[in-house]
Amino acid sequence: MSRREAPLNRVVMALSLVATATWLALPLASVAPNRIVPGTAHTATDLLGWPLALLACLPLVALMALSRRLDRVRCHLALALVLLLLMALPGWLAIASQWLVDPELPQARLGIGAAWWLSLFWLSLMLIELRSRLALVGWRAALLPVVVATAWWLQGAWLGSLALGQELDGRRGDFLEAVVDHLLLVGGAVGASLVLGALIALAMRQSPRVERLGFAVLNFLQTIPSLALFGLLLAPLAWLAARFDWLSAIGVSGIGWAPAFLALLGYSLLPMVRNTHVALSEVDPGVLEAARGMGMGRGQVFRQVRLPLALPVVIEGVRITTVQAIGLTAVAALIGAGGLGSFIFQGLGQAAMDLVLLGALPILAMALVADALLGALARRLDHRRLASPGGAP
Amino acid sequence: MIELKGVTKRFGDETAVDAISLTVKPGELCALVGTSGCGKSTTLRMINRLIEHDEGEIHIDGRPIREFDGRLLRRRIGYAIQSTGLFPHWTVARNIGLVPRLLKWPAARVRERVEELMGLLGLPVDQFADRYPAQLSGGQAQRVGVARALAADPDILLMDEPFGALDPITREGLQAELRDLQSRLRKTIVFVTHDMDEALALADRLVVMKAGHIVQQGTPLALLRAPADDFVASLLGGDDRGLKEAAITQVAERMLPLSPRLLPQARVHRDATLRQALAVMFREHADRLAVVDDEAMPIGELSLRRIVGAGRDGSGES
Repeated sequence: MSRREAPLNRVVMALSLVATATWLALPLASVAPNRIVPGTAHTATDLLGWPLALLACLPLVALMALSRRLDRVRCHLALALVLLLLMALPGWLAIASQWLVDPELPQARLGIGAAWWLSLFWLSLMLIELRSRLALVGWRAALLPVVVATAWWLQGAWLGSLALGQELDGRRGDFLEAVVDHLLLVGGAVGASLVLGALIALAMRQSPRVERLGFAVLNFLQTIPSLALFGLLLAPLAWLAARFDWLSAIGVSGIGWAPAFLALLGYSLLPMVRNTHVALSEVDPGVLEAARGMGMGRGQVFRQVRLPLALPVVIEGVRITTVQAIGLTAVAALIGAGGLGSFIFQGLGQAAMDLVLLGALPILAMALVADALLGALARRLDHRRLASPGGAP
Repeated sequence: MIELKGVTKRFGDETAVDAISLTVKPGELCALVGTSGCGKSTTLRMINRLIEHDEGEIHIDGRPIREFDGRLLRRRIGYAIQSTGLFPHWTVARNIGLVPRLLKWPAARVRERVEELMGLLGLPVDQFADRYPAQLSGGQAQRVGVARALAADPDILLMDEPFGALDPITREGLQAELRDLQSRLRKTIVFVTHDMDEALALADRLVVMKAGHIVQQGTPLALLRAPADDFVASLLGGDDRGLKEAAITQVAERMLPLSPRLLPQARVHRDATLRQALAVMFREHADRLAVVDDEAMPIGELSLRRIVGAGRDGSGES
């Protein structure tokens, strides 16, 4: 940021205004005596009374003040405030649970209200805005979510009556198993598609006919809706399992992990093959010409030049594929493949939104973590973007 | 020594290079010039077998190049190209050490050689060794490209428009450095360019190509004075040919010893070109210049008549 007068930051200003309005107007939490009865909603003003609720808004007002002239120092201050607010978010639920939930009723539960979710959303947007204003990258940027997550984890003890926690309490074993199943399916499908995709991409480079045919098939696969693909795989797999004993012995059948794995593999192949193929083909011809001109052999050119230069784009393919597979695996629960999707569909069936959340939130977290980690890995491997100190060329 | 005898290359039905013969003597800088698609790059790349020739023979130091393994041949021949072709994922030092490492030199010797070359090309080791190509300017990257080509100390250097993508000032700087480097190293260099000024400034011998044939070859002066046909004449700059000749002739070649006459005020250095001398005359409205040495001491004089060559064979002035 330059020395001239720091301008008004409209993003932070607007977000803190909206966050204040949300906080005061929408329900912060709802409480229900048991799982069946719909809960009663409570806003922050109901819960804390107007004076306290307004007092709790003070950090947001401070953010508005800071955003009027957001220079570097104020930017750091604002970042600290937003971090503190984010870290304190579970605290409001703990207070609500203290004051609203009757300890005489063991089934009583606290639902998380719209004001809480939206505050989380607005504050996260502010965090992203401030992070890019301060140009935080690498471990400094990664530290922010870690700090927030740690603070939340430490406050977990006071949130026993949270409906989400109560849903989890009953199924701790199932939950862990579902997480493991989910990760195994995603990991297996992405791993297999990486190996198979690389082989297909290499074969495509050998002949343009294979290339046209390959992309036609993969594009076609991508257009089949996921549920239909699961259904289409049901009959042939059931037939194969009945025909070959060893297949049914390793657990292959018309439903379960086998069709889910195959469908995930099918969907993962297109992004994987496309990225690998593009990555390998788009290596600067001048670099390859020089490599050959210096007397490198074909193998040396591939291993030392083409592959390392293609790697960031290949990793980018793995990132897209992984995020996509994490989401698709949720649908695979419908055909009995297990995973976190089973909670979502159970919850939908029982109209228990907290159970849906128990499945959906970890999926969201997995997708975000995979996206961040693989994105960082791709950037780390990419030397082309290493610009001179003056900025991008 | 590089010899091409009746070399032909076809791509499908098209004949890119048609039965050309050419000899490049050791220590000579030979520039291949011509319009785009005349076959000059193809000719260059046949010498290190990046492209295989269809007919004829190419000999290096008397041995046909088909006798060598292509990779081993290329490790013995330096190669620099317009896009530099530096590996973006390797540091400058690692890029320069590529061929020595392919030749399995011990690591210490590679490091020593890399540092020597970086010194030779004006790239301070502590500043540049660990940079990546994306962190270099165009001129710096091209220096690294030349250093990489020279790394294994090859006798032969092939350069394909190495300075073509640079701005004019950087380009002239690097041309001067190459001339200086060549006067010390005496490599056998084949240099492809379509920039005629560059070819005239650098080449011991010019080879003009057109549609896969060699139209004319000889020293820059010989070609400027007697172009074989209109094509060569226009390639050499048409009516500008005279100025181009002046640009490659030094003042010292035409100056007369000091005479008892009054020395003119306007002066020119003896290492300047005739073209620069003409520019001084034009600017100073003078038709006579004093020629000075490094200490600005007058050592001779130069008249317009001498520059244009009218006074060379005794018919002199006065």
